[in-house]
This record gives sequence, C-alpha cells and structure tokens, in this order.
Amino acid sequence: MIPHPPGGAFAHPVTTGIILATIAVLTVSGLAILWLSKSGRAKPEFRRELWLRWASWCVLLPLMLGPVLLGRPWTIGAVTILALLCYREYARATGLFRERLLSLVIVLGILAVNFAALDHWYGFFVALWPLMACLLAVATIPLDRPAGYIQRTALAILAFMLFGAGLAHLGYMANDPGYRPLVLLLLTAVALNDVAAFTCGKLIGGPKLLPATSPNKTISGALGAVVVTTTLVALVGVAIFRGTPLANPVWLIAMGALVSVAGQAGDLLLSSIKRDLGIKDMGTVLPGHGGVLDRFNSLLLVAPAIFHLVQYFLGFGLTQPTRLITG
Amino acid sequence: MEEWKLRPARDLGLRPLDRLRSLGRESGLVSLALNATWRRSVRAYLATAHRFRVEGRENLPAGPPFVLIANHASHLDALALSAALRGEAARRAHAMAAGELFFGSAARSAMAAYAINALPVWRGRSRRGDLDTMRTRLAEDSLVYILFPEGTRSRTGAMAPFQPGLGMLVAGTQIPVVPCWLEGARAAWPAESRTPRPGRPLHLTIGPALRFPDARNDRTGWEAVSTAAEAAVRRLAPRGMQPGPPEPSSN
Repeated sequence: MIPHPPGGAFAHPVTTGIILATIAVLTVSGLAILWLSKSGRAKPEFRRELWLRWASWCVLLPLMLGPVLLGRPWTIGAVTILALLCYREYARATGLFRERLLSLVIVLGILAVNFAALDHWYGFFVALWPLMACLLAVATIPLDRPAGYIQRTALAILAFMLFGAGLAHLGYMANDPGYRPLVLLLLTAVALNDVAAFTCGKLIGGPKLLPATSPNKTISGALGAVVVTTTLVALVGVAIFRGTPLANPVWLIAMGALVSVAGQAGDLLLSSIKRDLGIKDMGTVLPGHGGVLDRFNSLLLVAPAIFHLVQYFLGFGLTQPTRLITG
Repeated sequence: MEEWKLRPARDLGLRPLDRLRSLGRESGLVSLALNATWRRSVRAYLATAHRFRVEGRENLPAGPPFVLIANHASHLDALALSAALRGEAARRAHAMAAGELFFGSAARSAMAAYAINALPVWRGRSRRGDLDTMRTRLAEDSLVYILFPEGTRSRTGAMAPFQPGLGMLVAGTQIPVVPCWLEGARAAWPAESRTPRPGRPLHLTIGPALRFPDARNDRTGWEAVSTAAEAAVRRLAPRGMQPGPPEPSSN
C-alpha cells in the first residue's frame, strides 16, 4: 500500500505539487517560446516546430493527467485507449495489421488485461501474459499458412508484451488508493527524462550513444538524464513513500535510475523498430512529435519495471476489495 | 524458404484525410468491421427493396485478384456488384469512384473509404501514376476492383464506349476480368434522382471471365482490352442492348 492521506484527488501534496509544476513548466516554456519569437533569434521553421510541440503538450497533458485525477476507472480506461492506439501504429508500421486474426487476438488480449486491472483480479492479470503468448503462438496454425509463421508470431507476441501486458501495469497501479502521486510522477518523470537527455546532449555534446539506432542521442545526454531523473524521482519518492520500506535512499535512488534507464531503453527500442523499418515517425497524430508511440515509447518499459519494484516492497491495493466485476 | 519482409502499410505517414483519399489505403480491423456492417446492410436493402437477383455467380473466379466490370447507370451499380461478392473477395473489393463526387469533403471521404471501400479516380489528374499504383496493388495485394469503364453514369440507359483505363490495369497479366450486366439500376436510382426508388427490381448477370495475358501494356493493347471487354458486357445485355427493357416478371 502506498501511504495516502484521506480526502479527494488533491489530498496528497505531491499530486498538487506535480499538477502545479506541470502548469508552471507549460507557462514558462510558452513564455520562453514567445520571447524567442518576438526577439527573432530563432529561424521561423524552428519557431514553428517549437510552437507545434508546445501546443501538442497543451492538449496531451490534460489527456494524460486528467484521467489520473478523475479516478481509478478513468485511469484504466485511458491506459486501454493508449494501448490500442499504440498497437494500431505498431501494426500499421510493421505490416502486422494484415494478419487480421492475430490483430484481433491482440486487441482482445489488450481489452482482457485491462479488464483484469479494472476488475482488480491480479491472478488473471498476471496469467494473461503467458496465456496470450500461447494463444498467439497457436492462433494462426489452423490457417495452414506456415510461411512467415515465426515472424508474424514474434511480432504479435512482442506487441502484446509491450502494449498489452506491459502498459496495463500503469492502469493496475490505480487499484491502490494512493496511486495518484506515483502515476503522476511516472508520467511526468518519463517526459522530463526525454527533455533532460535532449538538453544535456545539446549542452555537453560528445560521442554518440548508439549512432546506428538513434543518430541524435549522445552518451552525455543519456548520463545527464539518469542524473536528473534519478534525483527528481528519489526526492519526490521520499514524500510519496514516507514510512514504508521503500523510503530508503538506496531503493529510492534505484527507483529513479530504473525510471531513467527503462525510459531510455523504451525510446531506443522504438528507434530500433523504426530503423529496421526505415521510417522516421510511427504516425502523424501529434504535430511536432509524430505518432502516439513516438511520445509514449518511454513509458512502455517503465510501467512494468516500477510496478514490480513497488509491488515487491509494498504491493498494490492489498486492502482493497478484489474481483469487483467478476465477483 | 521465401524471404520474409516487413511491409509497412502503403498509406503509412499520411495525414488522416490524405489517407482516406490515398490509392494506397489499406484496411485495418476498424475499417473491415465498418465495411462488413455496411455490406450486410446494403445486401439486406437490395434484397428487400429491389428483389436483387444474381445470375452466373459460378463465373466468379475462386478468389482475388480479379476485376469486375459492368454497365453504369446508377449509384446502385457499385453497391449491387459488391453485394454479389462473398468472403475474401467481398472484403478485398474496392469500387473505383469519381474523386470529385465521393472524396470532395472529409465526411464524404470517410463514408466512401470506410463504408463503400472506394478508391478515388480523379478526372484529368495524374492518371498514369495513379493507374500504375492500382495495377501494382491489384496483383501484389490481391484485390478485387469494381469499375465502370464507361467513365460516367449513363443518362439514357444506353451504354457508352469503354475507356482504355481498364486495359492499363490488366493488359499482359493473367488477372481475370469478369463482365457483368446490371439491369434495372437506372429505374431503381436514376442519375437525376437524389435518392433510390424502392420497389424497382435489380438483376445482375455475371458472364464468363476474360484474360488478357498477350495484350501489350501500351495504348493499342489497352484499347484491345477495352474493346473485348465492352463486347463481352454487351453480350450479357438482354435483347441486344435496348435501353430500359421491361423486367422479366419471374422472380
């Protein structure tokens, strides 16, 4: 159980703090871009790019943070929609969408695993990962079309792992009454991790991290992000996990480093997929960012990693009623 | 072992409206479900309101790819031809539709793309490249095209000469071209009317498929294909092509 004071959505000071900080960052960055535009320091196309990104964030942040504030079903619902959108982009980019049967099974799997989260049925929630892997492995055998079996099955299992089983951990966290500060921290820390990597990379420069996978990322950027994100997560973690076995500097620093490393790994995972396919962006939905996956790639691995770290020390929603729908 | 390749969607990276209008549009689960619902509704409507009958279904090839062609007098034509298909052929069928009319606005494009599964043909714009894309997709993606080689709906009921576009799609290939004659569509929904007129019968005759493996993929070849296809469609017309003959009373 994550400690939580009684009261509504804003009962925890960290929740209020993260929301206020987000609004402050949006306002300050908006003013900074405005100043840049007025002073004529940046090229017009760079200014346009900055505005597009900023405007996308203004739409995206309420859509991300709003459901978390609204409550448990909203959070799980938003994660379900996010998972389906991510799968759609992945399927169209890899060509897996042409395998209609597999696509249908994956979509049903995503719905099932998020239903398990909504039902607060941990047994079904964890069982779905191996069961879906088995189902996806046999689903296309009756089609009697062995050509491409290994490839389509591998693509399908990876898809369910990332967007189904993996991402659903974020929604499952909402079964704990104290989920809000933790989920908000993850959503914002992952975004900050990207910004920190970009900024440190630009400021310090130096050798590239993995030039063939992602030509713009530098080692200094990656390490800078680890330092910045670890510090932030550890400091906010002190306030979230006060009085629990996790409130120990070693574990909090480990948690921060895990957010940063898993976030960057998710980013590189998507970069590898895009490089392999020879495409730049996964979609066009978010102006200035690309597709939904281009924005949320970092969350894919962070969600299960942090879930199981917190689960090991505290557990999620242990005092809450279970199997709310299935009884 | 065949080499296996990752093949992103042909319409990847297009903005939503451009995607609907793209000749490379590929259906996902949502489009397939919408299109299946639409097809079933159209089939039910045609069966009840127009006593739709199909003759010569055995002439349809076992599976895609193939091209279905017919005389054109009504918006019901493409709906009726697609309603005659079943299974994989029905799911992969794309009607060629006038871009100006069916893809003019975003709402119409969504309707044309998701419900009818239409592909736009634009009058007098970049025809060669578009037709090359369609020719490639027909074979590679194993599609079914529904098209009306007259180019526009007949206002009199008489069939106009065929345009050579059909030849550009199939000349020099083994892809079957299936000629059809649709009788009664002009009475059931004439070009002058905004809505269909229920109660008028519709009758589709499907003829034996033609193949053009030896036709050259140039203007003379395309014209030869069009001429042969036009003759095959005309042969299916009741009583030698008279405009608006009375319907047979038997059902």
